Amino acid sequence: MSSTAAEGTLPLPADGSARSRVSSDGALLDLRAVPPARHAWRTLLRRPTFLVGAGFVVFWVAAAVLWKPLGFDPLGPTGLPLEGPSGAHPFGTDNLGRDMFARVLAGAQPTLEVAPLATLVATAFGTALGLVAGYFRGVVDDVLMRSFDVLYAFPQIISVLLVASAFGHSLLTLVIAIAIFFTPIIARTVRSAVLVETNHQYVEAARLQGERPTWILAREILPNILPVVVVEATIRLAYAIFVSAGLSFLGLGAQPPSPDWGLVVSQNRIFVQNAWWCAAFPALGIATLVVSVNLIADNLRDVTSR
Amino acid sequence: MRTRSDTRRVVLRRAAQIPFVLLVVSVLVFWLVAVVPGNPGRNALSQYASAAQVAAWNASHGLDGSTLHRYFSWLGDFVSGHWGTSVMLDTPVLGLVLGRLVNSLLLGLLAFVLMTPIAVAVGFYQAHRAGRPSDRALTIAAVSLSSMPEFVVGVGLIIIFSVTIRWFPVHSEIVGGTSWSERLRVMVLPAITVGAASAGYVARMVRAGVIETLASASYRTAVLKGLPRGRILLRHVARNSLLPTVAVLGTQLAAMLGGVVVVETLFNYPGIGQLILDAVLKKDIFVLEAATLVIAIVSIVVLLATDLGYLALDPRVRLRAEPA
Repeated sequence: MSSTAAEGTLPLPADGSARSRVSSDGALLDLRAVPPARHAWRTLLRRPTFLVGAGFVVFWVAAAVLWKPLGFDPLGPTGLPLEGPSGAHPFGTDNLGRDMFARVLAGAQPTLEVAPLATLVATAFGTALGLVAGYFRGVVDDVLMRSFDVLYAFPQIISVLLVASAFGHSLLTLVIAIAIFFTPIIARTVRSAVLVETNHQYVEAARLQGERPTWILAREILPNILPVVVVEATIRLAYAIFVSAGLSFLGLGAQPPSPDWGLVVSQNRIFVQNAWWCAAFPALGIATLVVSVNLIADNLRDVTSR
Repeated sequence: MRTRSDTRRVVLRRAAQIPFVLLVVSVLVFWLVAVVPGNPGRNALSQYASAAQVAAWNASHGLDGSTLHRYFSWLGDFVSGHWGTSVMLDTPVLGLVLGRLVNSLLLGLLAFVLMTPIAVAVGFYQAHRAGRPSDRALTIAAVSLSSMPEFVVGVGLIIIFSVTIRWFPVHSEIVGGTSWSERLRVMVLPAITVGAASAGYVARMVRAGVIETLASASYRTAVLKGLPRGRILLRHVARNSLLPTVAVLGTQLAAMLGGVVVVETLFNYPGIGQLILDAVLKKDIFVLEAATLVIAIVSIVVLLATDLGYLALDPRVRLRAEPA
């Protein structure tokens, strides 16, 4: 099940299938080939789902950064309670008369702080761990694989819920909890990529030249598995948004009066019968962000996998 | 070539690992629930209780002594079925947790029954139209469905089906006397929500499996032999392409157990997920310890059963297929 079709992903455009990629052991160097990174970019930019996904992500990042400078007020009452969508309040108002449009824009901020930070930490540790486990095998490898077994005993959201409840409800706890549980998952993916790479002759050559293991890992193997790391990190980012939104919904992430999407949906769901807008728009915010990151991940996987 | 004894060895090793995995899980649960948050008596009685009251509470709940001693006495009690009394509900934990677990499993079962045929049908349809616009649109829909948090899907369903066209109740109310038909009506929206994420994923797997079979020589032979279309679909395509789906269904069942925390909270459905959240918020450590350990046991058993089922259906498979 390694072909593109078998992954259940979108079929490649005709030009994308003829990828001229320099093979990782350097044996099939094609001098006419475009550098793989630039080629991947060009292919990506021709894919509509990637462009749509990237568009939404850019929009939400801009919202998270710019809502304050642009003067949106997510916390103070600016209208009557539970007003429907109108020109003055395009997304209506909530039960305290706060403008939902401002709250939805500002709500992007906590989500885009927690999930990327947790993913970054998990990717850094996971990659290091995966490199060591895949290259040296031995004890580190055993511990990694067993911890993975233990991790799989729990549905992810319950593990994170336990950690978040043990160490107190805050965004920082959420970051740490998600990072802890994503690290072994990333490490496992990196590990299997390393196992494939160590069979290539360039690794053997570097070893025979007397290169130090750290050099081989950092300068020989890592650049070759970088596409795998990037794709895995993007997939984890989507999951991190998923998990952090779920935890916020359960009341274990951001605390009121934060405009965090998960929290807002949870608080406003009791008004849904009379004022659908105050739960629907923050829910739409999460939906567009998480689906976009997934579409980006899918396209990255298509373009980088051979 | 993998031989029979080889396969049996792998499964046996897998089964033998389970007690160790459970032991580690129990240590983690105990540490996170009963050690990290600090003095359980203090947490239960709030800051106004005197030190003597807290000590007496701890002693009466068997929570005095060293951490190690507490862990082993808790583990012993758990294994022998003495799960203690819930602080928040003042009922025995054993009956409470198992009753709620049954509710959750019923919800999961309904989700499964509703989701599987639709997902399989969509996957088949997509495979036959692979590469066409309808296939692409459905793929995007499937990606979207399986990546959205449950409460987003749930809120959408509530707005459409409960608020706009009023087919189902907004909040579920299940008590002892609730009739089965009423129960079912209450469960439909939560079940669709729980199943939606898996449906997207399963549809993708079915699509992939069918595309692979359609490209195979045996399919071409069947077509060239002039067999009727329906028979080819059932005997040749379905049989070969649904195997990977079986494996996925098991892992999805385990994943659903996680999803129920959010869905049960959203729909106010009295399952084990809602119980876990309540126990977290009200610091009911006995309920939390028992419920999380039960969830772990159930998901381990489900995953092992999936492996065994997969093995029984197709002895060629290599064990430990990559989980998603």
